[in-house]
Amino acid sequence: MLLYTLRRILEFVPTIFIALTLIFVITRLVPGSPITALIGNQSVDAAQIDAITKQLGLDRPILEQYLEWLPRVVTGDFGQSLFFSAPVAEVILDRFPITFALTFMALLVTVAVGIPLGILSAMRRGGILDYFGNVLSSLGMALPPFWLGFMLMLVFAVSLQWVPASGYRPMEFGFWSWLSRLVLPVLALSVSQIGLVVRMTRSTMIEVLGMEYVAMARTKGLRERTVILRHALRNAMVQIVTVIGLVFALGLGGSVIIENVFALPGLGELITTAAVRRDYPTLEGGIFYLTLVALVINLMVDLAYAWFNPRIRYA
Amino acid sequence: MTPAAAEATTPSTARSALRAIRRAGPMLLSGGTVLALVVLASLFVPLLVEIDPLGIDVAQKLLPPSAEHWLGTDEFGREVLDRLIIGAHISLRVAFAATLLTAVLGIALGALSGQYRLADSIIGRFSDALLVFPGFVLAIMILAALGPSELNVVLAVVVLYVPRVIRTVRASIIEFRSADFVQAARAVGVGDMRLLVVHILPKSFGPVMVQLTFGFAWAILVEAGLSFLGLGPPPPSPSWGNMISAAREFIRTAPWIMIAPGVMITITVLSLNLIGDGLRDLVDPRLQGKVGP
Repeated sequence: MLLYTLRRILEFVPTIFIALTLIFVITRLVPGSPITALIGNQSVDAAQIDAITKQLGLDRPILEQYLEWLPRVVTGDFGQSLFFSAPVAEVILDRFPITFALTFMALLVTVAVGIPLGILSAMRRGGILDYFGNVLSSLGMALPPFWLGFMLMLVFAVSLQWVPASGYRPMEFGFWSWLSRLVLPVLALSVSQIGLVVRMTRSTMIEVLGMEYVAMARTKGLRERTVILRHALRNAMVQIVTVIGLVFALGLGGSVIIENVFALPGLGELITTAAVRRDYPTLEGGIFYLTLVALVINLMVDLAYAWFNPRIRYA
Repeated sequence: MTPAAAEATTPSTARSALRAIRRAGPMLLSGGTVLALVVLASLFVPLLVEIDPLGIDVAQKLLPPSAEHWLGTDEFGREVLDRLIIGAHISLRVAFAATLLTAVLGIALGALSGQYRLADSIIGRFSDALLVFPGFVLAIMILAALGPSELNVVLAVVVLYVPRVIRTVRASIIEFRSADFVQAARAVGVGDMRLLVVHILPKSFGPVMVQLTFGFAWAILVEAGLSFLGLGPPPPSPSWGNMISAAREFIRTAPWIMIAPGVMITITVLSLNLIGDGLRDLVDPRLQGKVGP
């Protein structure tokens, strides 16, 4: 296990390196100078343009920029945000807890609804619950999450007025005040994830239920409940755990647009506004941090999978 | 990524094939019908009725759905229904172009990496790297760099989806490379290129078609999301995502402007996913009910 862990961590390094390089290359793909994109139609004097060019280091050859940029960002220093008068790393760390809260709660909801529904669907294949789960998951995966967010807002905030429509309030102002503003975003993010988890759990469970040891357990005359909970589910859990990791990474990606809908000042909202305003240092930093978290979760999932499933370690 | 749902048991008998067809039939039929309706409506309605998605008429602004304005009007007095129909052109055009380009690139690059070691390690590295970014943040980054336009949305979708197709094609080439029928063909002197194109590649056709169907649906969602963020085809172009984005200010006063395009996206994506599910059950009954994209 130790050897496997070490190997996976070593593999992690080049992945990060390539991700960073891609981020660097793409943000510098801009036709013309990013400065023109940055200032748009405003009239800015030449000295100011010069200053920004210098600040971004755009006056130097691209390879030199890269060699200066890479060691700097590896230590987490993405420079100064062009819009907030603060270092990018600081802005990101300020906003990350919001994204984490959103993604984590969405994960909890997804797991709490998706896994039981998937298991029950598999146990009663072709039954009413299976049908219901199927419709729900197909619909969930077809709804654009951001639009679903607005629809939830329309029903629960505008019509029923149960919760505020959007915005964020830190927990210091009271737990409910904090939570009430996260309920709708969490729901909007969960629905498509639930669809995915129901389907994955269902198919894993069906697969496991077809295994010989399940048939054996039944032949022994064990109660169906024991067969499902002690024999089938236990083995299915190995794969279901990996799905949970997958969903968490997915949620991080999905949060980007949901935060925008509900005006939650998280990392995703930071990324999208930075993209629209072309605040490159912030964009680079935001994307890198988000990707890094997703990668770390992925790594943990892989390790957990190997822990549960020794065959993987020696492959 | 972990082989979460990769391994499947093999009850591949004639009976299960029959069951697959019985299962796939209704899905293909319902998905196909709905999709055909959307496509036909977007193509032929503009020919039959006069449609003016950009016609501004301030006197008629923000009117709720009624007999004259079936789906109501927006903040400039433009017909929501007209914009919806033209929006279908944009959304479907972008998704279709992206899917087509993904298919061409994915098959070519997948074939290369299935065939040649060196190409495999280079292409493999790149596609792995593209897959590490969660969700569509990579697309956001690409559009921030290239600027919002229809073509750039297409490019971003291709970059996001092509690695998946490459993997599928590569996997099936590696699977069949040493199959008996390939060995036999090689023995009678069939050349490498012909072997690949005529004997091996067609084997990946099924899985690739399934994947592209899901990819098409996914492209519609990505285009809508990017447009919503202001990174898609710039307004006044009535893409469905743009319509939702513009309707955001009027969600309290005129919710119908936002409801209509979202329903269209959902219906279209749902029908494509149904077709994908149906195709998959036909192509590989073992994967019955497994996750799509």
